[in-house]
Amino acid sequence: MDLGLYIAASGMVAEQTRQDQLTNDLANAMTPGYKPLSTSQRSFGSILMSNTRTGAAIGSLSTNVALGGTTVNMAPGAIRSTGQPLDFAISGPGFFAVRTAGGVRYTRDGQFTTSAQGQLVDAAGNPVLDGRGAPIAVPAKGTVPAAALGVYELKGASRQGENLFTGAATAGAAGTVRSGALEASSVDAARTTAGMMGALSSFQSEQQAIQAIDQTLTAASTQVGSLNGGGG
Amino acid sequence: MLEGLYSAAAGMSAQQEQLDAIGNDLANESTTGYKSERFGFRDLLYSQVEQVGTTSATVGAGAGGQVIGRDGSQGAIQQTGDPLDLAIEGEGYFQVKRPGGQISLTRGGAFGVDASGQLTAHDGSLLSPPITIPRGVSAGEVSIAQDGTVSAHGRRLGQIALVTVASPDHLLADGAGGLSVTAASGPTRPVSGAHIVQGALESSNVDLAGEMSQMMITQRAFQLTSTAIHTQAQMLSIANQLRA
Repeated sequence: MDLGLYIAASGMVAEQTRQDQLTNDLANAMTPGYKPLSTSQRSFGSILMSNTRTGAAIGSLSTNVALGGTTVNMAPGAIRSTGQPLDFAISGPGFFAVRTAGGVRYTRDGQFTTSAQGQLVDAAGNPVLDGRGAPIAVPAKGTVPAAALGVYELKGASRQGENLFTGAATAGAAGTVRSGALEASSVDAARTTAGMMGALSSFQSEQQAIQAIDQTLTAASTQVGSLNGGGG
Repeated sequence: MLEGLYSAAAGMSAQQEQLDAIGNDLANESTTGYKSERFGFRDLLYSQVEQVGTTSATVGAGAGGQVIGRDGSQGAIQQTGDPLDLAIEGEGYFQVKRPGGQISLTRGGAFGVDASGQLTAHDGSLLSPPITIPRGVSAGEVSIAQDGTVSAHGRRLGQIALVTVASPDHLLADGAGGLSVTAASGPTRPVSGAHIVQGALESSNVDLAGEMSQMMITQRAFQLTSTAIHTQAQMLSIANQLRA
């Protein structure tokens, strides 16, 4: 009987997670090259309900709402011209590669600058790599041809924060680099806001389901067995 | 449970920082030689939310922002007619020595002459290396060539050196209209290919229309992220009403 309480509660936790992800998407509505996350929800551990008297099967009942893993939605964002010579955008699939202290990481954020050593670096100072994995020198005139930047194909892209991804990379993705432009965040404000409203109402429905079950349990614990058969 | 509130707040504060950078650009729209700021957003750390017996979900901590550097594009060169107004066409900076002795780089080229005849910036900083205008020579008689050679009546008085660094984006604004060299910017080196225009000043390169539209976009994003806080607060209140 109290199974329902836990099913609804797990649904509330799942909606809270969805809401947190949508909030993160909105917070990154201005982050260049940002890709929204989505997590699927699925039913978990169904059990077969049966009539205890006759043994006839009633049907299956899920015992939980489970999170089904997070996927990154790689749909491209709009490419916005900035006029800055060290801004780059990839039109089509692919990632820029940067060498960080923790190894090579991949990004769609092409807002780069120069280091004191005259290399092309990202905002955190990590060198940007060419197609062969070597750093790129910025000539004295301060511009780098778009073709100098390596574009890598990334399998199993996983998010690291700081606009970086990890995954299994191979050089030579199909995307082409444009200089003087940035890829805007792929967050769709309208869709994200609608998703937040949806998560909010599901959360509320599940809360009401818990309250309804609680009322049933209250009735069961206070009214069943009382001599006048009701009213407590 | 409260993570969502904080990631929305982080996003709002990053957007607030961009509004500040835009405000700074707008305030310096008529500052000689000012270069507008390049602002960048980034996402923050991700954590795994575990739910019993299931695969985990990834939840991010919001957004951060930072000034990446400056827009290096040339500002418009405006004729002023003052012989000691100098504009740089191309890359590079004038070097001035502050009263405290530290070297500062600037593209604001409104120079004057102090009591001892030395060329100084508007705040009294000496041009470095110093150039002295001899007594009896008026400002109007000083001619400054494109390569920075200063002469009067055919006599060479010195040369104004233009310098730059490997990474101008990492120069630090010193709050007195100049920029100071940092470890990340690299040391100064002479500039080639730039020249000096006498009797003119370089306007700021702030693009008013671009700044205003960016400000509107950022304000909208700020507003949207604040609705996320509101929604998160509603969810907390619903959870609180479970035992109503």
